[in-house]
Amino acid sequence: MIHIEHLGKDYGTKTALYDLCLDVPPGQLFCFLGPNGAGKTTTLKILTGLLRPSRGRALIHGFDVRTQAQEAKAITGYIPDMPFLYDRLTTVEFCEFTADLFHIPLSEARLSINRWFECFSLDTYRSTLVKDLSHGLRQRLIYCATLLHNPQVLFIDEPLIGLDPYTIRLIKNLLRESCRNGMTVFLTTHILALAEDIADQIGIIDDGRLIALGTLAELKRDHGGMNLEDCFLGLTSNPQE
Amino acid sequence: MSAWRALSGKTRCHWRNTWRVLQQQSRLKVWFIALFALVFELTLLILFLRGFIFLNTLGGAGTLIINRLFSLFFLGVGIMIVISSMIITYSTFFRSPEVPFLLSHPVPLYDIITLKFLETTVLCSWAFFFIMIPFLAAYAYHQGLSPLFGLWNLLFSIPYLGMASGIGILISLAFVRWFPRRLLRTTLILVLVGACLAVAWSIRTVRPLQDDTTLQFNLAALLPGLALATNRWMPGWWVSEGILAMSKMEWGRGMMFLAAVITNGMLVLLLVQELGRVWFEPAWHEVQSSASGGNTRAVLFPRLSRILAILRPDVRGLVLKDIRMFIRDPMQWSQALIFFGILAFYFSNLRSFRYHLLPDTWRNTIAFLNVFSVSAVMCSLGARFVYPQLSLEGQAFWTVGLSPLTLKRVLLTKFWTASLALVPVSIGLMLLSSSMLSANPLTTLLACSLAGCLAFAISGLSTGIGAVYIDLEQRNPAAIVSGFGGTLNLVVSLFLLLAVILPVGAILHWHNLGWISGWRFQIGLAITILWLFATTGAATIIPLVLGVRRLRALDF
Repeated sequence: MIHIEHLGKDYGTKTALYDLCLDVPPGQLFCFLGPNGAGKTTTLKILTGLLRPSRGRALIHGFDVRTQAQEAKAITGYIPDMPFLYDRLTTVEFCEFTADLFHIPLSEARLSINRWFECFSLDTYRSTLVKDLSHGLRQRLIYCATLLHNPQVLFIDEPLIGLDPYTIRLIKNLLRESCRNGMTVFLTTHILALAEDIADQIGIIDDGRLIALGTLAELKRDHGGMNLEDCFLGLTSNPQE
Repeated sequence: MSAWRALSGKTRCHWRNTWRVLQQQSRLKVWFIALFALVFELTLLILFLRGFIFLNTLGGAGTLIINRLFSLFFLGVGIMIVISSMIITYSTFFRSPEVPFLLSHPVPLYDIITLKFLETTVLCSWAFFFIMIPFLAAYAYHQGLSPLFGLWNLLFSIPYLGMASGIGILISLAFVRWFPRRLLRTTLILVLVGACLAVAWSIRTVRPLQDDTTLQFNLAALLPGLALATNRWMPGWWVSEGILAMSKMEWGRGMMFLAAVITNGMLVLLLVQELGRVWFEPAWHEVQSSASGGNTRAVLFPRLSRILAILRPDVRGLVLKDIRMFIRDPMQWSQALIFFGILAFYFSNLRSFRYHLLPDTWRNTIAFLNVFSVSAVMCSLGARFVYPQLSLEGQAFWTVGLSPLTLKRVLLTKFWTASLALVPVSIGLMLLSSSMLSANPLTTLLACSLAGCLAFAISGLSTGIGAVYIDLEQRNPAAIVSGFGGTLNLVVSLFLLLAVILPVGAILHWHNLGWISGWRFQIGLAITILWLFATTGAATIIPLVLGVRRLRALDF
């Protein structure tokens, strides 16, 4: 579903990503781990078409993210770590607007909005302006809006920031269930426990290079760690040093 | 549904909700702003009308200028919109968080470009209507034009503004797309050095006067400049001619100009859409790719830190932080540079207009008008950058609030930092203006004193009112500035300018006219100087005292 070939990215003279090759099959939940500045968000931005790669290419369901960007975006959902929302729209208006961008008929969109609003307990905020929502509610809203068109591939940058334990549990279950139904999820996180909990496959990136790839069991076996934290700390360099 | 319809629907919802939010705001605030806007418009209308009447009384060059003024007005508005649009384009196209949101959705680039074109056009042109309406109303009244003049203006102005904004967008997109970023710093330095050299050359070069020194001569000297405005290839001329033709019911001629303006406007829109589609995406990726990484050079700061070593460490820390934030925020320093740069350019060209050869009465008037323009720029900078400073600390207020530094000292440090930045610039500009006008020592002294005192007062007002109406929750500087406190600060600052500059200017003007002299003039002058110090002193101290009280009572 996600196919990455020799992907590289330079920021001026600084290389942020070196020769990344990766395949994430359909229905898999892939967790991308790495210290700060390792290249996780750069990879995610290239895959969502927000950054142009300096080298290599990436395909989403066979669509090249550069040359077939519209087709790739139509089947993709992206939740950034600091999502942009239109402050002067109500929650429902924002979701209807997002549905329109994906060409979902209004009647179908409203059914979907009702379903996701109920799921994320946003029903009481239907007429609330986005600017009046707390951080956690905004995060819940962006999940609703992103899932409206039932994306085949979902990219999430730090999925649990600012969420309460109930919503965290809800999102974990939702992601697992979505993957069972065929959705591919590619997420980046610093919360190693999350990766241990839900990832089918884990990739560790450090200083722009993919240094480990495999299931949790494979990583533990290959890198001699008792848990993911030991593996991660053993493999990566401390950015503070 | 097409993406464009979705975007239009979103914009409609946005404006409808904004209207609802406005309706929920304090009535006092709404009435206050409405009243201020009305007084502002009426004052401008009277000023423009008096100007037309004055030009009419001169005959000859005056009448010629009136006839060409309409074209000149649209030429000026067009140039300002192009410049404004070039600056705003960078924010709307490359810095807006909406763009990555739209780019990560299946929205055609064509629609994003069109949306951003409209947004840029609205943002760069709405404020000009506040000047256009009174100017055009005064012109129509003076020339006895039909009431439909307003309608024709609107009809012609919209495609004209779109055309000017589109040109600005294209220049900006081409600049970001093609201009090598590594040369940006060097180019900016070269431009600055060039501008300084031009100013210095202009100051040293005094053009000899050929013959006449009368006012008519000086006005007539402007006429070649007006010729550009009436050039038949200038779209501003099509607009002015078209509106006048429509007002005189010359329908054929009017429609021809309307068609010219609309078709050219559409052509520019087409160019923006087509070229924008090709240029924008690589330019956007270029900006994103160069936005991260790299170390910020701090060449200036170690030296500055050594210079500021005389201050207490906590105060030095605050001052250095504010200076760093100012220098690293292009929005702040570029606006200050543009505003003061334009004034410096204008002042250094005063001799090109032969203003220094005018009678004392006129030079005095121009000198005090220049004080007003410098102070008005200070007002806008104070309102835009000094006023929200304390509120913007909100996100990091715990750093300052939890330190042993008292809030009174924080406030006073902000005040002194703003004052010490504004005072030298304003006095320097007034010295330049007085020198170019060959003003007498008394006028020079008074103009410099006014500018200096007003710089302190505007800093005190902006800092003090900023503390009284502090909003630690708000992260958006524009929202802080447009709140009640920001509006109050701007209005009070503008009234302060009038209250201080008018009496001092008037007493010198009457003296030059010979209406008062001897001891009467000396007493009058002494009273106005006392008034100047008392008013600016009160405007500086009272808001600061109120601000300190507010900060002491603040929960954060």
